[in-house]
Amino acid sequence: MKTVVKILLVAVCLLLIPVTAVSTAAIKQRFADGPNLVFSGGRLVAGEMHTGADPDWSFVNTIPTIEMQLLDPSTSRRIWTVEHAGKLYVWSGYMGSTVGRLWKRWPVQAQRDGRAVFRINGTRYERNLIRIQGGDELVGITAAITNKYPSQTNRASVEQGDVWLFEAAPRNN
Amino acid sequence: MKQFYWVIAAILVITVLAVLLVPGVDDFVEATFQRYLGRAAR
Repeated sequence: MKTVVKILLVAVCLLLIPVTAVSTAAIKQRFADGPNLVFSGGRLVAGEMHTGADPDWSFVNTIPTIEMQLLDPSTSRRIWTVEHAGKLYVWSGYMGSTVGRLWKRWPVQAQRDGRAVFRINGTRYERNLIRIQGGDELVGITAAITNKYPSQTNRASVEQGDVWLFEAAPRNN
Repeated sequence: MKQFYWVIAAILVITVLAVLLVPGVDDFVEATFQRYLGRAAR
């Protein structure tokens, strides 16, 4: 019995090393201006805030990822984006799995309060995230997604809730 | 066993300092975590 307890204690101690490394990296990122890979970053501070009319968003189709910060809570993450028919879209996969729902909390937060700031090529844009759950427009949007990324996103996965898709509309407040 | 705990404590302190202060270590930790997380979420 004593040996089992000892083995368990050793295992827990060894497990503490990667847990500490991951926790420290995650906490460190929270104080940074923006995200890195998977851990949320802090508020997007650097970069000029875009004012005036929306740009031609097609330039994002050549950019792998953008930085996105919600206003509430004011954490940021790096996400995929695509332009389709002059509109900007962001989405989150894995929403059908438990691990995914635990990992990706921003879609739920964005549905509650869609106000967001994007930073693309060093310029910040104020946007409002509006979830799209159905409609014929999904065909074109998901085609744009799969053309750009190695993604299996399709109309059915959005309608079933496995993928949460948002239009990044202009923000007026 | 007591010595083992001290070694673990020292490793934990070194881990925290390395992630905080050594350039690239936080990126490595995050990239590794992302790999496992992505696999688990599928």
